[in-house]
Amino acid sequence: MSGQRNSKARGLAIFVLILPLFLFLVSLSIGSYGISPQGLFKTVLSVVSPASHPDVPAAYRDILLRIRLPRVLLAMAVGAALSVSGASLQALFKNPLVNEYILGISSGAAFGAALSIVFLGRAFPPQVGGFVFAVVAVGAVLLISGKAETHFISLLLTGIIVTAFFSALLSLVEFFASPYVLQALFFWLMGSLSLASWKDLYISLPLVAVGLVMLYLLRWRLNVLSMSDEEARSVGVNVRREKMLVIAATTLITAAATAIVGIIGWLGFIVPHLVRMMFGADNRRVVPLSAAMGASIMMIADDIIRGLSSFEIPIGIFTSLVGIPIFLVLLKKTKKVWL
Amino acid sequence: MSIRVTNLAFAFPKFSLRVKELAFESAKVTAIVGPNGAGKTTFLKCLGAVLPTPKGSLFIDGRDLASLKSRERARLVCYVPQEHDTTFNYTVSDFVLMGRAAYISPFALPSQEDTRAAAEALDFVGLTGYADRAISEISSGERRLVLIARALAQQSDILLMDEPTTFLDPKHETEVLQLVRKLAVEKMKTILVTLHSLEMAVQHSDQMVFMKGGEVVAHGKSADVFQESLLESVYDMKMKIIDWEGRKIVLR
Repeated sequence: MSGQRNSKARGLAIFVLILPLFLFLVSLSIGSYGISPQGLFKTVLSVVSPASHPDVPAAYRDILLRIRLPRVLLAMAVGAALSVSGASLQALFKNPLVNEYILGISSGAAFGAALSIVFLGRAFPPQVGGFVFAVVAVGAVLLISGKAETHFISLLLTGIIVTAFFSALLSLVEFFASPYVLQALFFWLMGSLSLASWKDLYISLPLVAVGLVMLYLLRWRLNVLSMSDEEARSVGVNVRREKMLVIAATTLITAAATAIVGIIGWLGFIVPHLVRMMFGADNRRVVPLSAAMGASIMMIADDIIRGLSSFEIPIGIFTSLVGIPIFLVLLKKTKKVWL
Repeated sequence: MSIRVTNLAFAFPKFSLRVKELAFESAKVTAIVGPNGAGKTTFLKCLGAVLPTPKGSLFIDGRDLASLKSRERARLVCYVPQEHDTTFNYTVSDFVLMGRAAYISPFALPSQEDTRAAAEALDFVGLTGYADRAISEISSGERRLVLIARALAQQSDILLMDEPTTFLDPKHETEVLQLVRKLAVEKMKTILVTLHSLEMAVQHSDQMVFMKGGEVVAHGKSADVFQESLLESVYDMKMKIIDWEGRKIVLR
């Protein structure tokens, strides 16, 4: 019985891990200008060798390379980044309610990126400002909550205060922004993939990749760090140093993602829970499966936004509106404890 | 492996621990007893370097504990807490495997050898059949055994057990303390265990340490040091020791 259950879970895990690859191809063909799978295949071949497929319209190549590919890659990267960040922070702070938003990382990154966009323009990478202020925000939360960082109420209150502070600073930046920049800023803050460009990806993708690889390698250590600090220290962990490693990696990927797409709430909270519901608490599974599931959910959400409506709802709003009810239904249906 | 304590001092805002000279030998069980707030847990946590250990006060086979790196120290000494406060519902085998952290680089996964060590530890405490059960699905007595298994997987020669029998029924209490004895005899561990049950402490230990107000007030072989006058002065109450079939019963 247990063996049957294990092989079922293994099959499901393989499905979750493969799903992003399938969705990647589907997402490239979906949009206001539909490209059939055959057309997509031919277009890809024509990119590699233009002479071999002269019949492929130039517009296909433009749509694929300049619009869809960066957008889909960004959706994958952001989904994976925020989900892994949430899973790692929940383990690190021994609390399933923690995410990058509660720790002030998102609001710090949003303020830093907005400051950069308004005062330095889009030519300067907003990721830099986003990362600097994300570090300032999470540093402030940890410093103010001090030794009580494992005490959730203290951490939560400090996170709320720091988030409120950076939200006020963000409003100040908006106040000084020109009407044209303000409109773009407003749309970006609601969470949007529509501004995806290769220039942003060249900077954000390597940063996200570095952070994700770090957290993937640290995934078993997250199990140990999810015990009390005393227990972790007792089994031989340098708690302070390893906590800093995890915080640095999560801050890096959150800032890199937020700087391009704005604040996308709930994903980093919901996805790790869904994964634990289905596959258990072991972070050796939770981290890679959260990355795959987060990437898939973001691509599906973006496909729906692009495919179903003539106007684009910001993805941050869409993921919250759809994700929260689905999560609540699953929460009610799942009787067993999964944390 | 022996432990030597020399002028150990540690202070909280409203409590301070001061231990002048103490030594613990290998393959022996030492019971640390005393009233609540005597400093038993603080003493164990200092020995396990869970609390910052002052330099030059704790030596394991002559090596200063404070000068050792986390992983090096964890291979020598292991602190076993009273309870594991579970946030995430790991399986028993995943939980025991965490005791191998000192042997695994932060960026690596447990090897086959680590998995084997964890399985052996689980087997030693008699919970092999529980490997795939979730931590939340086992009883508190079984959880104590799982904590001991994790400590065994750590393969350190010194075990510091903080009240391993609290809230256990008499049967499980006896089973846990018999296991502690077995660990000392069969695995040659140096074991320090804090206990509230005086009868159990004297029955299952080779030597006893009595603490009060953050200081050691008496220590020695259990049979020698376990005296009515000492118990009365440590606990500030009238006590009487009765011998019953070779065992000591404390009336209060």
